[in-house]
Amino acid sequence: MATREDIYANKIFLNAVLPLVKTIISSNEKYAKKFKNKNGIVGVSAKDPDGKVGTHYIIENGDFTVVKGPNDKCDVELEFRSIKDLNDFFAGKSKKLPKIKGWYHVGLLTATLSVLMYMAKLLSVTEPPQNDDEKDLIVKLYFSLLSTGISQLNKTGHPDVSKWVKKSPDRIFAWKVTGKPELSSYIRIKAGKSKAARGEYKRSKPFFTMRFDCTDSALGTLLGIDDMIEATITEKLIMEGAPEFGAQLGEYMLLVGSYAKGS
Amino acid sequence: MGGLTYTMLDTTNLSTAEMYGNVLCELGKEHPEIVGLSADLAKSTKIGLFAEKFPNRFFNTGIAEQNMFGIASGMAKCGLVPFVSTFAIFTSMRALDQVHTDICYQNLNVKMIATHAGLSFGQAGTTHHCTEDIAIMRSMANLKVIVPADGMETANAVVQAYETEGPVYIRINRGFDQKVYENTDYDFRIGKAHQLTDGNDLTIIACGSCVYQAIEATKILSSVDGIKARVLNMHTIKPIDREAVLKAVYETRRIITVEDHNVMGGLGSAVAEVIIESGKGCAFRKLGIPDTFSIIGLHEDLMAYYEIDTNGIVENVRKLIGLEFEEDEDWEDEV
Repeated sequence: MATREDIYANKIFLNAVLPLVKTIISSNEKYAKKFKNKNGIVGVSAKDPDGKVGTHYIIENGDFTVVKGPNDKCDVELEFRSIKDLNDFFAGKSKKLPKIKGWYHVGLLTATLSVLMYMAKLLSVTEPPQNDDEKDLIVKLYFSLLSTGISQLNKTGHPDVSKWVKKSPDRIFAWKVTGKPELSSYIRIKAGKSKAARGEYKRSKPFFTMRFDCTDSALGTLLGIDDMIEATITEKLIMEGAPEFGAQLGEYMLLVGSYAKGS
Repeated sequence: MGGLTYTMLDTTNLSTAEMYGNVLCELGKEHPEIVGLSADLAKSTKIGLFAEKFPNRFFNTGIAEQNMFGIASGMAKCGLVPFVSTFAIFTSMRALDQVHTDICYQNLNVKMIATHAGLSFGQAGTTHHCTEDIAIMRSMANLKVIVPADGMETANAVVQAYETEGPVYIRINRGFDQKVYENTDYDFRIGKAHQLTDGNDLTIIACGSCVYQAIEATKILSSVDGIKARVLNMHTIKPIDREAVLKAVYETRRIITVEDHNVMGGLGSAVAEVIIESGKGCAFRKLGIPDTFSIIGLHEDLMAYYEIDTNGIVENVRKLIGLEFEEDEDWEDEV
């Protein structure tokens, strides 16, 4: 039986981490090519006494759609024995492989596994890579993961996050890198409801923006290399908005990070 | 806040009108072309301070406001700079034809300092309340309309009015105003709003005595509700600071205006015109006196009654925060 903490972590993996595959494919030509002209449904799931949980991708001529929840018509499915097994695998704490269904869709399976492995590699780096495109992609993935992760924790009823969202008026919290709007993500919260989105919020200036002056500065903070307070003092990180809201956001970012790392 | 109740508490400070009278005396020392006029209200409007200092440059026309503004226009034609003071209700209504045709139409250099504006002459009743003057005066071509927040701002406004060629209307209260500014040393410019607090949840745009109330409201909203409100002191209603309004629309999405004036045609309407012309959407609410003749009472009681005091602003901000500002209410399509 999964604990509440397992469920929070599971929501992060299923609904915040696995959707990043789409981000990788749309940002990286090499991986986009692997899915070129491919069709099918690929799922990642875990068994649970309360019902199977999962996320699946619908691939139509190489175009990716991510859908929350399991799908019983998957052409390829990576099925874990339990929620905990899925969590431990994606947190890098276990090498226990899932049951793989649909071996005969070799092309779809290998493409899926290769992009999942690439995503795991990017999310587990501890030092910034040499390649600038890869640096940008890591920042984009982290911004997406954090915004969606916070929203998922709210939707799953995490006590701290849902309390924060419940009492909030309609507000936007954003993550940006100066001069690179394509990396941006934001979360909209309003009286208990939340929604994460990619890109810039253009309807108005966000209530609070965590803005990094460049990709390296963003990686410094996101990978835990730089001290957040020092980064703020040196203006690598600019908090646009009231500082107390920066502190709140920072707290929930760390929370998502702790679930994603299984700590 | 205007009204007699503060005279006992604040005897060491000058009332806003006294501030005006003193500044005018200072200007009068340096600029001999300045003359003063009033219609038997020199003492009440505090232009009497100028009269005492420069008796040969002051003219009491008696209870004849229309004549007074006509005389002022003639003086301006001769190169003098008339400062004309009477109650706002008499400036903007009784003598309106002269203000319109003799002064504004000819774009003459007459400065009108109108006192006892809004509800500030509370206990004198509806006939002496002036909650229409901003609407009337801002529709006069060539005329600049200024509503200072307190005495210090009145001092700045009077000095800059002198330095600005053409007709200027400055609207002040009777009695004392709560202090917004400790001194005159801040960036006051006619036509440029002054931001007093920062926040991205909403913007409160206020003028006159409501500026102080707005600042007090932000303290409650911040500590009780966690709502961060920006306050813009929109001291110049015309020309309005379009840039500041549009920035507020973009940055805070919600705007609430507060004024001691009818909600029709005043600050709220001026702000709304800017928003509408820009084509940008935002949640918007105007606070002021509704379309009615105001009731009688002390100024602070009337402000509470019409919800333009601190508590009224707080309650209305809470309502405004609940309004939608975007159509997207699908909270599940985030993958």
